[in-house]
Amino acid sequence: MKAPFSPYLAGIHDGLKRLIELLERDYDYVSALATDSVGFALRISQHAKAVKNETMTTERGVVLRVWRDGLYSEYALTGFDPADPEGAYAEIRSALDAQLALLRETRTAVYETPKLPDEPLTLFVEKEAEQLPETTDLRALVDQLTALSDQGMTLDPRMIECFASAQSTHISKLFLTRNRDLAQSYVYSEGVVAAVVMEDGRNQMDYGNVSGLGGPELFAGLDAKLERAAANAVELLSAGRIEPGEYEIIACPEVSGLIAHEAFGHGVEMDMFVKNRALGKDYIGKRVGSEKCTMHEGALCAENVTSYAFDDEGVPAGDVTEIDAGILKTGICDSLAALRLGVQPTGNGKRENFAHKVYTRMTNTLFDSGDDTLEEMIASIRRGYLLEGVESGMEDPKHWGIQCIVKKGREIVDGRLTGKVVAPIIMTGYVPELLGSISMRSKDREVFGGGGCGKGNKEWVKVSDGGPYLKMKARLG
Amino acid sequence: MTEQVIQILKDAGLYAWELTEERETGWEFYFIRHELDQNRAKALQSLKISVYQRIGEDAVGTAAALLPPTATAAEAKRLVDSLAYQATLAPNRAFTLNAPKREHATHRDTVTVDVPAVSRDFLRGMKSLPETETEFINSYEIFVSAVTRRYVNSEGIDFTETYPKSMAEVIVNARNEGHEIELYRMYKSGTCDAGGLRERLAKTMAYGRDRLRAVPTPMLGQTDVAFSGEDAIAVYRFFAARLSPEMIARRMSDWELGKPIVEAAEGDAVTLTALRELPNSSRNHAFDQEGAPIRDVVMLRGNVPERFLGGRMFSAYLGLEDSFQPGNLAVSGGQQSEAALRQGRYLEPVEFSDFQVDPMTGDIFGEIRLAYWHDGETVTPVTGGSLSGNMHELLRAIYLSSETVQYDNWRIPSVTKLRGVTVTGAE
Repeated sequence: MKAPFSPYLAGIHDGLKRLIELLERDYDYVSALATDSVGFALRISQHAKAVKNETMTTERGVVLRVWRDGLYSEYALTGFDPADPEGAYAEIRSALDAQLALLRETRTAVYETPKLPDEPLTLFVEKEAEQLPETTDLRALVDQLTALSDQGMTLDPRMIECFASAQSTHISKLFLTRNRDLAQSYVYSEGVVAAVVMEDGRNQMDYGNVSGLGGPELFAGLDAKLERAAANAVELLSAGRIEPGEYEIIACPEVSGLIAHEAFGHGVEMDMFVKNRALGKDYIGKRVGSEKCTMHEGALCAENVTSYAFDDEGVPAGDVTEIDAGILKTGICDSLAALRLGVQPTGNGKRENFAHKVYTRMTNTLFDSGDDTLEEMIASIRRGYLLEGVESGMEDPKHWGIQCIVKKGREIVDGRLTGKVVAPIIMTGYVPELLGSISMRSKDREVFGGGGCGKGNKEWVKVSDGGPYLKMKARLG
Repeated sequence: MTEQVIQILKDAGLYAWELTEERETGWEFYFIRHELDQNRAKALQSLKISVYQRIGEDAVGTAAALLPPTATAAEAKRLVDSLAYQATLAPNRAFTLNAPKREHATHRDTVTVDVPAVSRDFLRGMKSLPETETEFINSYEIFVSAVTRRYVNSEGIDFTETYPKSMAEVIVNARNEGHEIELYRMYKSGTCDAGGLRERLAKTMAYGRDRLRAVPTPMLGQTDVAFSGEDAIAVYRFFAARLSPEMIARRMSDWELGKPIVEAAEGDAVTLTALRELPNSSRNHAFDQEGAPIRDVVMLRGNVPERFLGGRMFSAYLGLEDSFQPGNLAVSGGQQSEAALRQGRYLEPVEFSDFQVDPMTGDIFGEIRLAYWHDGETVTPVTGGSLSGNMHELLRAIYLSSETVQYDNWRIPSVTKLRGVTVTGAE
């Protein structure tokens, strides 16, 4: 079925158009983004169960963007009354005028930016979903998650807790200017099953997840993740420590995705170019990886948790080839950064929610596949590790440093897995050296949308990333 | 509308319910160097509703939702009805919500927040930093809010409190002829402490200078590591997490009241205290998110757990009637001065890519962007490599300076020294 567009947003459409007309008396560019996204989150474990009608991206509100004399200003509100756009107009003018008075008093200079274009565009997109979060049989889903949690506890005597969670969000967004009228509606879902084990007072945890563009029908895939998660957690209890050093490694698709995200995800967010905060600016057209390194980014690259039709600035979704056979081709860009850099926006302007500023943000960030098999890759390594499981990562676009915390490494000696496991692993390195060392890549590719991404230490948005198995060299500790 | 929703909740025949209304007025300013990139303002209201339903003799279920402030009374009624059903799907062991206490009766909401005035302090403060040609502010973002929170529950608690909430995110750059680096800082506070901001950013600029001349971190193996900055909070969050009723009830923490958390430890024993207030903290609240009064309570005294503190449900399961979710936390100073702790050979990391302590496993890790290697005679700035270890082992030898320093809602020793951390070099 089509995920239906929000009746609430349809109901405030004309009021918002009127508010835009009113604001155009005083400003040379006005846009409105209105959001109405609903969903649920179920958290089931042995010790606590909860139902929430709230996820990371549920929201309802309006943000107005205005431009005058080279300065962009925004006002976000939750109380827009479509019957009283004049009231909203007065509220917005009052707040922004008070801010401008303070800026004049403090003699604050403006980083002048041109006016955004407003070419006519109309779009109405309702994406497919088998089920909607609003009409899901929550009782059946709670029963499924409860059974998973209960089953998990039987898998090993060292299990102390088993979490099963499912959340689904129905996004509806409306973007309006004088000439643009864009509406979209889509559903994404994500579920996790996590096993926690304890031995001699020490805990370990591992998890399996499902995610994607679609409704709660995706949670059927959770059952297949439980046993592996429990086995992985138990395996971690006896894991040893790695001897620090440089190794040949094989990154599993999930770890490949983390590397993509941290290496040339954040590294080519072009609002960072404007601030001179990313080295990538000086490397367009230059080699940053091996011939076997090709990366794509964009909401159109994959059907996953952030595969929207247009971004939060009303720019249609894109598919950007960031790295082509090792050569850095371009970055990703929000609309204001594009104006400042003299390039075209790529459909990557995203907000944490309507109340937050737009930044250049990732959507789906993916390495391309190759022709090798995992078996061939393992056989090619004399001493190294197969890296599995993702904890976290951190970027450093200014210096191209990279830090990835990986759950564990499986030792490979003379072309064979030895059965020895080490954990946890800190993988660090210099991005061009790491990507330059990619020597093999598998045929298969997976995409993961279970995580969130911050800009600095805030502004959390949904992203997905992935890739095939990649063989490379890295420093592990 | 809020009163209508409260009446709907009262009339719904629920086992229990909670409502939290938040109103936030916020101003934001974004800068590239010292030029205004964008100004933003916001007027937000949210209504969070949680309902609880009795399920059989021994269980209570819960469901929660945010009600949009634009909702009608009919929509509010439909939502409450829906939550009443959803709550029956998620049975937990029975417990009751927080009940009114003396603190609720005596509480008065007397705080007022002048958002333009606090904004003015930030704008002026950021323009008076000791920048030079080679150490300067790349960009910054200022967030100032006045938040008014009203909490009401079915047991009779009904209070309102107003508080300020501020944040400055600052990117500091340093450069020499061949290279330029950046350092990231995020400062949270109640209002603007312009003097403190200036002092900390001046220190950050000095770090920037040192990073430009840093050499690769040597392969040190297991060594003493002294944390002298905000990263030490991650170490102490491990203690707070292990003392939470949720971790205890889930058996993810095996710490017990009255029993030392580590045997035969050398160095200083840790004392951790929850505090009602710290100067200009962004977490100075009279009550927690579930309406429980916040007080000064020692959680860990000399490495011995004294009180577990946390949310209502798990606290009730452990029989902790006076529990609450701590906002401010303080770690007492140790026996030696910072100067004494700074003797001998040790690594002093001051900049990480991301320093983490996993409260579940105790694993610590971080890639070093800048550290000082103190070899007993000289001090050398180093960069690259990483450190790792596990808190369960590192607890056996932890040394705390007698001097303390405050970072927003934490007051901690100015130096925290851990013995036997594994340092992987970059040489």
